[in-house]
Amino acid sequence: MPTPLLEVHNLRVGFQTDHGLLTAVDGVDFTLEAGKTLGVVGESGCGKSVTAMSLMRLLPQPAGRILSGEVLLEGRDLTQMPIEAMRKIRGNDIAMIFQEPMTALNPVQRVGMQIIEAIQLHEPTTPDKALKRAVELMEWVGIPAPAQRVNEYPHQLSGGMRQRVMIAMALSCHPKVLIADEPTTALDVTVQAQILELLKRLQRETGMAVILITHDLGVIAETCDDVAVMYAGRIVERGPVHPIFANPLHPYTQGLVRCLPKLDHPPKTTLPVIPGMVPSLKDMPAGCRFATRCPNPHSTDVLDTRQPWKECGSGHGVEACACFASKLSAS
Amino acid sequence: MSLLSVKNLQMHFPVRGGVFYTTKAVCKAVDGVSFELKAGETLGLVGESGCGKSTVARSVVRLLKPTAGSVVFEGNDISNQPQSALRTLRREMQMIFQDPAESLNPRHTIGQILEEPFLIQKMGTRAERAEWAVELLKRVGLPPDAIFRYSFEFSGGQRQRIGIARAIALKPKLIVCDEPVSALDVSVQSQVLNLLLELQRDMGLSYLFIAHGLNVVKHMSDRVAVMYLGKIVELAPATELYQNPRHAYTKALLDAIPIADPTQRRDRQLLRGDVPSPINPPPGCAFGHRMKHPKWEQSVHMDLTLKEITPGHYVQPCPCCT
Repeated sequence: MPTPLLEVHNLRVGFQTDHGLLTAVDGVDFTLEAGKTLGVVGESGCGKSVTAMSLMRLLPQPAGRILSGEVLLEGRDLTQMPIEAMRKIRGNDIAMIFQEPMTALNPVQRVGMQIIEAIQLHEPTTPDKALKRAVELMEWVGIPAPAQRVNEYPHQLSGGMRQRVMIAMALSCHPKVLIADEPTTALDVTVQAQILELLKRLQRETGMAVILITHDLGVIAETCDDVAVMYAGRIVERGPVHPIFANPLHPYTQGLVRCLPKLDHPPKTTLPVIPGMVPSLKDMPAGCRFATRCPNPHSTDVLDTRQPWKECGSGHGVEACACFASKLSAS
Repeated sequence: MSLLSVKNLQMHFPVRGGVFYTTKAVCKAVDGVSFELKAGETLGLVGESGCGKSTVARSVVRLLKPTAGSVVFEGNDISNQPQSALRTLRREMQMIFQDPAESLNPRHTIGQILEEPFLIQKMGTRAERAEWAVELLKRVGLPPDAIFRYSFEFSGGQRQRIGIARAIALKPKLIVCDEPVSALDVSVQSQVLNLLLELQRDMGLSYLFIAHGLNVVKHMSDRVAVMYLGKIVELAPATELYQNPRHAYTKALLDAIPIADPTQRRDRQLLRGDVPSPINPPPGCAFGHRMKHPKWEQSVHMDLTLKEITPGHYVQPCPCCT
């Protein structure tokens, strides 16, 4: 078994707010191997982006902080890393791309300059060489006429091209891990397909590992090797993509897979739903957080105690709430 | 007879600039769109951003005054009616917007928001209006005490329910839904879609349903129109369109949908480039031009009006894409 590139153990992240300390991420575990893609899926507010930001140590300061847990990148714990050392890790070892490239790029600077800045921050090089490298990178990510495009401003590029510029910047120093936080949510389906294909190609060429955060199960199914399903700050189910879709164990995953309108559904029929809403962070139960929306009959005990994690073979694991745990052992 | 009949709708916006703010160019956001909508039917409208979907929606409810063409609603051409006549018209047609947070007044209570349509139409007494607001909330699955609260106190899905309640307040015949679930999470999305279907069954509503999620449109629509650069390139019954797309753009669009089934990973033909700007669009078939199709030039001098190829299935008859 290869040693994982990135290991996250029991990561807990909290935010100091007017309502006291709120735990946005409550005990997240996962591992990531080189060359693999881990999809993190969940609804807004479930802690996907906060998890990503904690890996990069980019939590909003001073409100957000890592409460406990470790993030091991090739054995080094990033949570204990001094700020200066962490700056070297960002970009060199872990890089990130964001949902809306227009807000992540500087609107008053030419895109070429922004890529050059990313290069020069990490390797001392002459301006000429950096420019040449920027053009090469833009060509690599599939931007037509890169020699002209380096001199353009972000608003002159389309959404898809802007995201390509973001990817070029992120990959300028050959990171080992790329965190893509909803990279295609703001894009049209056709452009989304282009960007996902690009990420796959770049991954094949560099062997980097990718953490793909999205709320779109379709994107997960098409691009990921492994999936982590997050709900209300916890991973409720985790495993290779095939069993997660073919045989989801947690009632939340089951609901998520079912309530998607599929192309082969009979049109205009009632869709299955997950009733209710995610509980507020202010009054999050200590135990199973999905119990209030769960279709299974369950006792109120499951709300009070954290439900155990259960491995079900070949990497497929689930937070085994008492309401379905008995069925797991039977199968 | 159809409830709504749109013929050769054009919506052109002048692009101004320079010292004297003169018209530099014309943005042909919608350029010759025709379709019909029957009572109780849902017509889906799909296409990439910038193709003119929302402009069609806004012209239909007369939030925009079309440059040319006719919009016939229940036998009356409304495209040229004066502003004063629109108030009675809006009893019959309403709109649901994408972002319910932005389309609900943050300073009004939900009660005020839901009573406003009645107030504008001078309907009912104060007590009746309050009673109707509560009924509307119940209808969309919200607690009656919501009338005293403000929109920011609600989640995205609940706000969209309020937007829907406001739209059905005057018992309209047509509701234009502009990306009604795009801002919502999947689990909430299906709740809202179910509500829309249920209201349609109960009230006999017609929907013009715009979304960029093609699976959502397929689920909601009887017929689907595909727009590209201000024009409809294909229009067909939903199942037929998805099973048997004829226009190259429809095929490309359908091919790009990610399928939530890892066993069905496929190699797709990727569409290159982006949608061209509707300012100075290319002549002839715009999609053939984007794909640099060898037969594109033939389409320049052709009549590109939609042709019915099988009953109910219309497609733009350009040699490059069909």
